[in-house]
Amino acid sequence: MSTTSRNSKLTGKDLVTVGIYTAIYFASIMVVGFLGFIPIFIPLLSVLVPIVGGIPFMLFLSRTKKFGMITIFSLLNGLFMFITGMGIYSIATGLIFGLLADLMIRSGDYQSSKKSLLGYGVFSCWLFGNFMPFYIGRKAQFEMLTEGYGAEYATALEKLMPLHLAPVMFAACFLFALVGGVIGRTACKKHFKRAGII
Amino acid sequence: METDKTPFYIIDPRTKLLILALNSVFVFGGAGGADTTMEILRHVITFIPLGLLFFGGKRKPVLLAAIFYVAFHVLQVTLFEHTKGVLNYILLFSIGVFVRILPNIMSGYYFISTTRVSELVGAMEKMHLTDKLIIPIAVMMRFFPVAMEEAGAVHDAMGMRGIRFGGRHPSKILEYRLIPMITCSVKTGEELSASALARGLGSPIKRTNICSIGFRALDYAFWILGVFTVFVFITTLL
Amino acid sequence: MITLKNVSFSYEGEERKSLNNINLSIKKGEFIVLCGKSGCGKTSITRLLNGLIPHYYDGKLEGETLLDNNSISQLPLYDIAREVGSVFQNPKSQFFNQDVFSELAFICENLGMTKREIHQRVTKSISSFSISHLLERDVSQLSGGEKQRIACASVSAPNPNIYLFDEPSSNLDVQGIALLRNTMANLKKQGKTIVVAEHRLHYLMDLADKIILMVDGKIEKSYTREDFLNLPPITRNSMGLRCARLQELLPYKSEEKPVFQKHIAFKGFCYMHKSAKKHSLHMNPFYIPKGSVTAIIGENGAGKSTFAKCLCGIYKKCGLMEIEGKDENWKARRSTCYMVMQDVNHQLFTESVLDEVLLSMDQEEEVLAKKVLKSLDLEHLSHRHPISLSGGQKQRAAIATAVVSNREVIIFDEPTSGLDFTHMKEVSKQLRELSKTGKTIMVITHDPELILDCCNYIIKIGGGGVKESYPLHQNREKLLHYFIEGGVSVE
Repeated sequence: MSTTSRNSKLTGKDLVTVGIYTAIYFASIMVVGFLGFIPIFIPLLSVLVPIVGGIPFMLFLSRTKKFGMITIFSLLNGLFMFITGMGIYSIATGLIFGLLADLMIRSGDYQSSKKSLLGYGVFSCWLFGNFMPFYIGRKAQFEMLTEGYGAEYATALEKLMPLHLAPVMFAACFLFALVGGVIGRTACKKHFKRAGII
Repeated sequence: METDKTPFYIIDPRTKLLILALNSVFVFGGAGGADTTMEILRHVITFIPLGLLFFGGKRKPVLLAAIFYVAFHVLQVTLFEHTKGVLNYILLFSIGVFVRILPNIMSGYYFISTTRVSELVGAMEKMHLTDKLIIPIAVMMRFFPVAMEEAGAVHDAMGMRGIRFGGRHPSKILEYRLIPMITCSVKTGEELSASALARGLGSPIKRTNICSIGFRALDYAFWILGVFTVFVFITTLL
Repeated sequence: MITLKNVSFSYEGEERKSLNNINLSIKKGEFIVLCGKSGCGKTSITRLLNGLIPHYYDGKLEGETLLDNNSISQLPLYDIAREVGSVFQNPKSQFFNQDVFSELAFICENLGMTKREIHQRVTKSISSFSISHLLERDVSQLSGGEKQRIACASVSAPNPNIYLFDEPSSNLDVQGIALLRNTMANLKKQGKTIVVAEHRLHYLMDLADKIILMVDGKIEKSYTREDFLNLPPITRNSMGLRCARLQELLPYKSEEKPVFQKHIAFKGFCYMHKSAKKHSLHMNPFYIPKGSVTAIIGENGAGKSTFAKCLCGIYKKCGLMEIEGKDENWKARRSTCYMVMQDVNHQLFTESVLDEVLLSMDQEEEVLAKKVLKSLDLEHLSHRHPISLSGGQKQRAAIATAVVSNREVIIFDEPTSGLDFTHMKEVSKQLRELSKTGKTIMVITHDPELILDCCNYIIKIGGGGVKESYPLHQNREKLLHYFIEGGVSVE
């Protein structure tokens, strides 16, 4: 663990650290992320990704002592989602929820474990950006589908991604992140600390 | 002035980002609804990265993707209405995957497989992004394949040990998969950071970028297409 | 030009001083080799000189490190990069760019030089390191030796006067080492100051002006090259140092010729990587003595690792292994063969050494597990986290998992890369003891000291096939010849 630097400006070392941990976070969520290729599992990702991501995120927090690192981390998630072809909306959700999480964790001076946990919950809501293509311009889409391919297609799609699933998925992102955060903290204690990584 | 020897299918990373954005909003997101022009534009937007990949030498995945895209699009227009029950559902899923998600995945694949870290950095510098973003993005792009390599090695080791889903400790499978991968990645990541910093990365001086990126004929064509697509989208809203 | 005055350093969170009151001055144009056992502080000295201590590695630093009368700890890293070029050991983490040209320009870009200046400087490095034939390639396609040459060329672009090498040969084969030596000779000829922290010493002996022995964070003694070479090999070994000349390894204790009754045959080992056009492995049938310690040698990229992965069933559907009259396919071999990977961290999963062993047993029997741990001298560590162990202990933990799951063949992937003499000897002893219990051991290695110390059979692989196989007994000269002459053709 690095000493708290008086200087709160982000240094080159901090920026490199953010890049490394974002990559690790992604490699971790890839373990379950491939499920997203099967449409029926897409809603399930709002449960699995926050759980799996808890381990790398909590480890990342142990290296985070300055404002901005979590925001950049989260924004990078969104950008990475975008360039790997998972949609553009995660850039916005990444930035917003990253900033909120950063503010929250900073209010605990990057020490408070309760605020870290809640912060991870807030951060995980970035994931909702991935589901937004199913909801944005929904009306236009249904018109298009009904006109183009018949009402049946439109109803079938409605069944797959019903509107009322949206708040459920959003809440799932937050709640299961709390679970993931606890798992992550346990892993830090049980593994990373004893292994001498933090 | 040297003559430009770059093959025509090489485009500026900024244009690649545009193609990704168009794909994401109009093909995946379905913005623009059932407008006929938009329908045609969707096909065009889908085939741009496929075409560029094809010329770039990635023949096999491109042909596969194209076949699936066309086939399921045809199914969507013809057969779908007449199906019922389970078949209807399966078809719906598959159409969703191959007509809406696949084009995005392919444009992501196109971006990742044809853009070097140095080119991306050059593009971001031309877009006047701050170093606070450029450096972490560059590091992440550089390091992500390493982290995946570590994950692959852990996967191999698990196979050798006979640790798999449905084994003796099912609740720990996540731990087995993640902990060694993260541990190894953190160690390699520390070496990478040290090496990059010792090579002057992260200095407050304005970075130079020697990558010769810039817009050429094809780039302008795609940007015009992009503007046109947005224009069509706006007309559908009116 | 470099002066260290009473320097001490301890890493964050550690009580121990990694460097303890170091006084050292290095003159311009000197070639210094830092040697000593693992953890003696030689790497820390290189980190002090390139500013990673204190700018990257936090901790408690005392004393002064002066570079031309400027204190290094006051200079930012990017300013140090103009004056000091650092070459590291791990190709996976050392490079930042995929293509060679961008890598060469990387430091100059970071320092904000003009495009014109960058092109001039890169052109100069290309010609002074004769690497124009590599420019079109990706860094990942280069051989280990070429990678280190590119690393040198890239740090040379801002024209530094000091070059640091931190165990640069750890991942290199015979040819790679020759190429590295050649690169260093070139730098020395240009009058550069060179500091190398290294375990392998033999390739540096014609270049070094001074050899500094470190023990427990202190400078124990500084030798001239002549004095160092005049030390009897056994004295150097007792300091934990590797051989200074490969020829030293030739004499051996008269050992009986090992007798092997049975053989293990390998049939039809062929493998083609997905994107490749031709087989990366295409082996005619060959055999090794059952119960032997067989060294697998050959250049990087010859197919050694591919063979190991096929053997352990990581690569599927490849070849048959005939053992005790039974043919085993890849699936069967998943429970009879085991690989101890080069980075052992990949194969340790649990939170304690004991759990690690239990995980590999069909029936979890703690008594048996403890017995195996005891035989591998791990009993006192059974509750430690496996990752927190030392390198050698981790290897033994991996061996323990192989032993309890009754593997017949255990293959080691470069178990001694980057190890000092003492630790190499430990590995060697371990391998011999394992073979005494009836296991057949294979070792992929570039380390002649290890082979001559514990192996009794040699398989040489080249171009994806078996080039040669012979018992080591009475063939020591032949083997050594490969390691001495193998590099000469490159230069």
